[in-house]
Amino acid sequence: MQNAKDSFYLALRTRLAVINPERTVLLRGAIRPGILVEEAEAPNAVLPTDVFVVRWLGFGADIDLSSAMAAEECEILYGTCGTQAFGGLDRGRNLSAMDEEILAMLQPFYTHKINYSVQPTTTMQTQVFWAEPTFAPINIQRDRLSRSVRVRVYSYQEQGE
Amino acid sequence: MMTATSFSAPAPVARRVRAYFAPVNRATQTPVLFDPSQLSSFNLDAPPTPWIDLGWIQNFTRKSTSKGGPILTGIPASSLEQTRESLEAQLSFEFLGWTKLTMALATGSQHMNLLAPASGASAAADGAKAAPAVIVQSGSTASIIQLAAADAANFAPGSMIAIDADYSGQTGYVGSPVSGSYLRQPLTDVDYIRRITFNVGLVLGVSSATLILAQPLPGGAPAAGTKLQAITGFVDREGGSFYHEWSALFAMQGSQGDRIFFHYPRLQSLAGAEEMAMPLDNKHTGGLARILLKGQFLALPVTDPLDGERVLCYRSFRPAAYALI
Repeated sequence: MQNAKDSFYLALRTRLAVINPERTVLLRGAIRPGILVEEAEAPNAVLPTDVFVVRWLGFGADIDLSSAMAAEECEILYGTCGTQAFGGLDRGRNLSAMDEEILAMLQPFYTHKINYSVQPTTTMQTQVFWAEPTFAPINIQRDRLSRSVRVRVYSYQEQGE
Repeated sequence: MMTATSFSAPAPVARRVRAYFAPVNRATQTPVLFDPSQLSSFNLDAPPTPWIDLGWIQNFTRKSTSKGGPILTGIPASSLEQTRESLEAQLSFEFLGWTKLTMALATGSQHMNLLAPASGASAAADGAKAAPAVIVQSGSTASIIQLAAADAANFAPGSMIAIDADYSGQTGYVGSPVSGSYLRQPLTDVDYIRRITFNVGLVLGVSSATLILAQPLPGGAPAAGTKLQAITGFVDREGGSFYHEWSALFAMQGSQGDRIFFHYPRLQSLAGAEEMAMPLDNKHTGGLARILLKGQFLALPVTDPLDGERVLCYRSFRPAAYALI
């Protein structure tokens, strides 16, 4: 399953770099596209703003198939306080921009499954695919607007996984 | 030596179905055939001519209503073998958009363009007497229409147009490449072919003597002598005796790059025009709703030249890469 999770995240990260190259995050001294996996970073009480945070939740498997199929529930959280230049008055517009970016990042709804735990990385035989996203209502905390979107990510287990 | 590993693929997982249609030549009774050996190279976003992409459809259901029966022999009688007594298949689905073509496909009868009316023309149920047509000039292409400067000045971006020949009294199937009607006796309406033609387009640009269309005309570059008229919309009728006939292709793209195609060489509308309201919000079913065109079709047989068998549909499948077959 880890290969599917890695492939999903890297697909979104690669697409974000094309959709909005300006959205970046400084992590451990490196500037990267503005999306991170929560469980792969140091714990933090407050989620960063203007960045997409991938959180893995539920898990299920259908083992009555010729190749077992795994389903993982993914929640992508994002929020913004707007920009200083506009005194935060553009926070609604910024959140709308992030809504559009995540929708674009999720399409097409598939990507090759790649094993990133080996060097060089290897493209596997199957594809990771996912269902339509479900967007949650906006959450307002003072000047911070945030939202989450849930996506169910599917993959087939291959030999050696 | 090159080697790879394989995997055992479960049943395909697909999101939706995409529909492509092409006109059957009614005069020669020639359907458009899809070669399934080209299944891998068929570009879903830019299908090869003459296939026309009608976009995604929903609730695609196909059903064989062919009947077979046993040959019974012996005492007591028992089945010796089966014979096919009748050959029939039906399919239904909903189009997710309203266009000239989807509307025509989803009606069980003739489909017409509403020609812009002449000034002072008396009302008619399928459009009043039309304003005079203008001559299409030489040098026109499927996307750029050359007109006299005075004629082009009467059009603006956003205009809809129909281009075809004058009607000159012909009978039988009328319209090319799509037969839009069948006439038993001659009519007097010189604009009749432009009323039933599928050669319609949306004008996006107008220059001194040129109309630039949003999409190429389905019939390609206008032939010499064709004329152009503005249209205001479309109309079809419940009733009449004409049935459209189309070749159809339905494609399902699987999650692993696998593909399923259903090819019906001959399809005719089975039922009259019908719409279905799909609420935008399932919690408020009485509120806003998307009005979908419902298409119901009867598959007609063709004779397969491979072995002379009569068939209604071809189903083809491309397995996922490296899937065990």
